[in-house]
Amino acid sequence: MQRKLIQIAGIIWTVIYAGIIVWIYATEPRSFKEVATNSQVAAGIYEINQEKFNNGLALFRREQFRAARDEWAAADPAQKDPRTQFYIGYACYREGWGRVYYDDALFKQGLEAVNRAINLAPNATLIVDDPNLQMHTGAELKAELEQGIETSWKDLNPLKLFRQRK
Amino acid sequence: MRDLAERNRELLHFIIVPTVLLTAGLLGGLRIDGQTRQFVFLAPPLVTFVLAILLGALFVRAGALELHHWLAIDQPMLTNVSHLLTLMSLFFASAQAFNSVLPESGLLHWLFSFFFLWTLWTNQFSTFDSRRLLRSLIVLFGTAFVLKHLLVSALYAPEGGWLRTIASTLLQGISIDVPRFAPITGYISFFALALYVAGLILIAPVPVNASRVNQLTVREDALIESSDDRPE
Repeated sequence: MQRKLIQIAGIIWTVIYAGIIVWIYATEPRSFKEVATNSQVAAGIYEINQEKFNNGLALFRREQFRAARDEWAAADPAQKDPRTQFYIGYACYREGWGRVYYDDALFKQGLEAVNRAINLAPNATLIVDDPNLQMHTGAELKAELEQGIETSWKDLNPLKLFRQRK
Repeated sequence: MRDLAERNRELLHFIIVPTVLLTAGLLGGLRIDGQTRQFVFLAPPLVTFVLAILLGALFVRAGALELHHWLAIDQPMLTNVSHLLTLMSLFFASAQAFNSVLPESGLLHWLFSFFFLWTLWTNQFSTFDSRRLLRSLIVLFGTAFVLKHLLVSALYAPEGGWLRTIASTLLQGISIDVPRFAPITGYISFFALALYVAGLILIAPVPVNASRVNQLTVREDALIESSDDRPE
């Protein structure tokens, strides 16, 4: 009876431990902190740091986009919160937007963030109710960023100088 | 007293051995980035699985693992499942032990892989017993460890040195791609290899309960024989 018990315990323990190892190699955490964050995500108890998120929002409203992005990246280290990722994308858009040309690198970074946000949102529909923003859905922001990256004859249109940043 | 010994033997066989092997497997692919000091988990490359299969075949040939005792149709299913998990842990640990001492990329990766393959392949046709095999493996992994973590990392250390000057002069024009990892990576690799060797020492050629079943079978045979010899 005791041998059977040890065998069962051994099987359960080996399977759990092997699972943890596979999970570690699949998620490739870069520090113990990231291991803890990934564990929270896996357990379904992951939450963003609300204080850092609010700090980021305040910086965003003061047009300090790079600092805002840093705050949001720290607020959502696992990149699992659609709203935070949407704001990161929006900050990239606003910083990369120019009357004469767009910053392609920032727009690409923004597109990656907004794609993450859309993928994380339930039913892939993301709506952010913020009166300070002119684009409220992930789809709108994505289209704007994609248009900014594309190169076309429209880029030579002089009327482009009169358009407004959203 | 006997019960305690038996229980400890079972704990060792069913829990400690798989844990030691899996820990060796976990650490075998872990590196620490030289600049950022962050973890880098490298999954075992395909060649390490080929090497692990060759090593497994060598274990069986040398009698370090008697497979027909580990997995048998007349054993309880629970025992077979438990043994299968231990064997899988051994396979994974073997692959990761190779991963730990193989250079990550470039010419050196293929050179080391080739020498491992050559050694294991030629060993398939040699006469081995389990003790000699273990000694041979310690030498094999030890040499690879010294070459990778002491010699090669010293050659390409950022601070340089006379060894680096000689190597860069000799190998002028040949690109040897060596990723820069922190010195602690060598310690982790050493610990992983030590655990792997410990696992190999702990793993019995014939599992605990199988040996007991065999003893019982022998006793039963002896009883049958003695009853046959008795005059009717």
